[in-house]
Amino acid sequence: MGIHPASIRTSRGGGAADSARRSDSLLTVILFLLPSLALFLIFVVYPILQSVYYSFFNWKGFGPAVDFVALNNYRRILTDRVFLIALKNGLIIIALSLGIQLPLALGIALMVRRDLPGRAFFRTIFFMPYVFSEVMAAIMWLGLYNADPQRGLINALLVLIPGAKPQAWLGDTRLVMPCIFVVLTWKYFGFYMLLFMTGLQNIPAELEEAARIDGANRRQLFQYITLPLLGSTIRISAYMSVLGSLQQFILVWVMTHGGPVNASEVMATYMYRFGFVRFQLGYGSAVAIVMFLICLIFSLVYQRLAPQADYLGAY
Amino acid sequence: MSRKIFTLLSLIVVGVLMLTACGAPPTQAPPSEPPATQPPAAPPPAEAPAPTQPPPAPTQPQAEKVTITWWHIQVADDQKALWQGMADEYMAAHPNVNIEITVLENEAFKTKLTTVMQSGNPPDIFQSWGGGTMNEYAKAGLLKDITAELDKDGWRDTFSPGALGVYSYNGVNYGVPRDMGMVGFWYNKDLFKKAGIETPPTTWTEFLEDIQKLKSAGITPIALGEGDKWPGAFYWEYLAVRIGGQAAFDAAYSRKGAFTDAPFVEAGTKLQELVALQPFQNGFLGATWPDEQVEMASEKAAMDLMGQWAPGAFKDASVDKKGLGDKLGWFPFPMVEGGAGDPADALGGGNGFVIGKNAPPEAVDFLKYISSVESQIAQAKIGLSVPVVKGAEVGLTDPSLIAVQKGAAAAKYFQLYYDQALPPAVGSVVNDSVQGLFAGTLTPQQAAQAIEDAVAAEMQ
Amino acid sequence: MINTSSLRKHLPQVIQYLLLAIAVVLVLTPVVMIVFGGLKTRGEFMTRPYALPIPPRWENYGSILKMSSFWLMLRNSLIVMAATTSGVVFFCSLAAFVFARLKFRGKELFYNLFTLGLMFPINIAILPVYLVLRQTELTNTLIGVIVVQTAFQLSGNILILRGFFANIPAELQDAAYMDGCTPFGFYWRILLPLARPSLSAVAALTMIVSWNDLLVPLVALDKENLWTLPLGTMQFQGQYGQDLALIAAFVTLSAVPTVIFYLFAERQIISGLTAGAIKG
Repeated sequence: MGIHPASIRTSRGGGAADSARRSDSLLTVILFLLPSLALFLIFVVYPILQSVYYSFFNWKGFGPAVDFVALNNYRRILTDRVFLIALKNGLIIIALSLGIQLPLALGIALMVRRDLPGRAFFRTIFFMPYVFSEVMAAIMWLGLYNADPQRGLINALLVLIPGAKPQAWLGDTRLVMPCIFVVLTWKYFGFYMLLFMTGLQNIPAELEEAARIDGANRRQLFQYITLPLLGSTIRISAYMSVLGSLQQFILVWVMTHGGPVNASEVMATYMYRFGFVRFQLGYGSAVAIVMFLICLIFSLVYQRLAPQADYLGAY
Repeated sequence: MSRKIFTLLSLIVVGVLMLTACGAPPTQAPPSEPPATQPPAAPPPAEAPAPTQPPPAPTQPQAEKVTITWWHIQVADDQKALWQGMADEYMAAHPNVNIEITVLENEAFKTKLTTVMQSGNPPDIFQSWGGGTMNEYAKAGLLKDITAELDKDGWRDTFSPGALGVYSYNGVNYGVPRDMGMVGFWYNKDLFKKAGIETPPTTWTEFLEDIQKLKSAGITPIALGEGDKWPGAFYWEYLAVRIGGQAAFDAAYSRKGAFTDAPFVEAGTKLQELVALQPFQNGFLGATWPDEQVEMASEKAAMDLMGQWAPGAFKDASVDKKGLGDKLGWFPFPMVEGGAGDPADALGGGNGFVIGKNAPPEAVDFLKYISSVESQIAQAKIGLSVPVVKGAEVGLTDPSLIAVQKGAAAAKYFQLYYDQALPPAVGSVVNDSVQGLFAGTLTPQQAAQAIEDAVAAEMQ
Repeated sequence: MINTSSLRKHLPQVIQYLLLAIAVVLVLTPVVMIVFGGLKTRGEFMTRPYALPIPPRWENYGSILKMSSFWLMLRNSLIVMAATTSGVVFFCSLAAFVFARLKFRGKELFYNLFTLGLMFPINIAILPVYLVLRQTELTNTLIGVIVVQTAFQLSGNILILRGFFANIPAELQDAAYMDGCTPFGFYWRILLPLARPSLSAVAALTMIVSWNDLLVPLVALDKENLWTLPLGTMQFQGQYGQDLALIAAFVTLSAVPTVIFYLFAERQIISGLTAGAIKG
């Protein structure tokens, strides 16, 4: 699903906010919290618990789960070759996102910041892919990646270059992940660009002005002023990018179904294959829980490492 | 400024209300249309009983309102219209029956069906390919036993027994077929001629030679959408049928033998011989079945190993919607020299409908209605089905399709596609492993072992 | 002399524009391809898929606009989007208010509970969620889609809003209470108006997610007259798999509302996100 611009803070309460009155009655808390809590418990927490339960069974999804296998499903996941490929692909997406996508977004945000004439135009264009649905994005790119130079634009352009051969793109086990990453970048870099732009906007102009007067050059300005002040936004973007990468599903499923030969398998397609194609619901549930735990562990580590509470729009 | 977005939200609400106003006709159309379009036909069935026997009407138990849910996957306009027409006819004749049709595209259908089945709530009538997947549903008690209905009034005898058997498990019938055919090579006669091939190959050696001839003539020998996996699985399965014959499969299936037995490994070896010639279009590993159709329809590729639905699909995929016409020919999968199989053995399958556990008796009656000879002829005429009801063959006019129908009916050993014959968990492993053979990431032994492992885990 | 120095001054900017122009071309190519694709006949699309659509053929767009099912899907998508967005904004702001401004025992526990939702997206949860929908008899209703979408949007948006609310100075709250305001009064009359930009951002992002959601409608809705646009797109792709020009037109048209809406909301999203460091 969508990626939430989230402020991440799970360990401690908000200091300043706690100066609230002691007289806040419990009733207010309950009434205010009730609607979201009820929805959340019924449609999010209860399904998680159900998944945990089923993950201990060899269950095809029909009728009650009776074949209790304890931790066998988990053992199988961690030794399954294809799951390890999916995990590896997830890590590749994370690495590329952090190494290419976010710097690209930051670079463009820096270019279109403040004083550039036409910045609204660029911002609008760059953010646009984010508002398209993943199904739509997948359909658009399937056409571009078509291996037949008469049908796919990329190969059509490629054959114009002397000596270049048309590539199989999504049909090539080595090229498929880079191809998918290009689509992910196309779709999501605008979102991160927007986050960076808002972060940049919150850096007081006077600060940079002062540094410039003190004789700082562009690089120094970026290194000593902009980057540190953007720290919070960068951390949040990285956090969301990692979670988003680990949970990627529809785009990959529509474009490649995780193929060819599992070359573009990600954890969610792997889980979907077992749950909806192979009728191994117990095993599929265990995969879901493993994904959940991976994300959870990552979040906890992130919290430990992040120096202070980060939230969006702060600098 | 920020007020704008709430203005927008309220505009949307207003928009919805307006759309609801304009949207009303489509939703209300079904009830209002029949009287409008067929005023003479509709009232009589509804009113006829009333004037003749007004007093008993309230006392006698009137036929109760029944709703039948029906899921099918015929999304093409003419095919969808055929089913809708039949449902409308039936409802007109049985005013107490309401048939709710859900038409889903193939992949969406599979996802949705899985969720409703797992929640124990099957539709009353739904698309099925029989075999292993259907058996899973039957084992879970999700299907209705219609054996008794089939035995009544000779309904059973209207079907060809082989096709009907696909929809039974442990001697109990759960549904009926509407279509049955076999897989074979569809080929472009012109392209064969251009490459200097006089007659289609009958042996594996000839087949490989012809591929070389096509390649030297600059023609893509074979179209393949291996991204979808099942199109390529046909090659391996057919090779196993030709090399091992019925005995090999039966032994492996009954667990007296195994899928690591020589014929299955040999099938992988032969397949990789074929792959080594690079007979497929560029990018075949990521291509889909629709891509495969375009390769054939645009006359870029010469051959395609596919089932009875291929000619219709080629038509749809061609620019003028006319397909390859007379250029399209068909030949059976070549014999493998030294193989144990008989040349008449066939790999194939078809489509049918099964009945969900909660279905009212009317659902079975309706199924009978859409399985009539007349219905089957109508289906054959629009290329929806290769008929399975005796006497409906007259609906077939295409000589290739007649060959397919005859071939399937005459097969001494008819092997249902593995991904349908075996439980879904195994079928999916077969497809995945064969893709590994095509990509060269698995050896024939490894592929056979992967399949055997899945079978061993799934079938004790 | 003057020329070279002005060149040196403007060169970075020229390069900047050049790079941005390249990026614009790259970003727009897929979009332009699909819009143009819809302007071709079936045959043109197959034989010359990336030529310019000259002359443009409007039949594809026309035939989709004539489909009553398209309008029905548009309506359903709008209903779901409006309801989900209203629900998310209202529920999340209530909960975020509690977490940001009130004090009670177990606050951290509840707050952490909500953050778990981030780690369990709907992609993973779809089957158990479907089972719950069945138990609550909400399958085949738009309500079912709405409540599930709302539930899965809670975590992220509570987190965002809590950050924004926490930034509103505590003195404001103290002053309000001293004037006899109830917590709800403070929330309703002071907090919400102040937080409007961030509420807009949350609303806009929720709208996008809801509008584009495929999985929930796919499993929850059987009846064609309840389908939403993404579900229709997928169906349409299967149904007219060969008629790429028609699919292109359908995809383009189903994106039109999002784009219009986006052009409307863009500024709100930006000002909302920026407002995180709200002026106190």
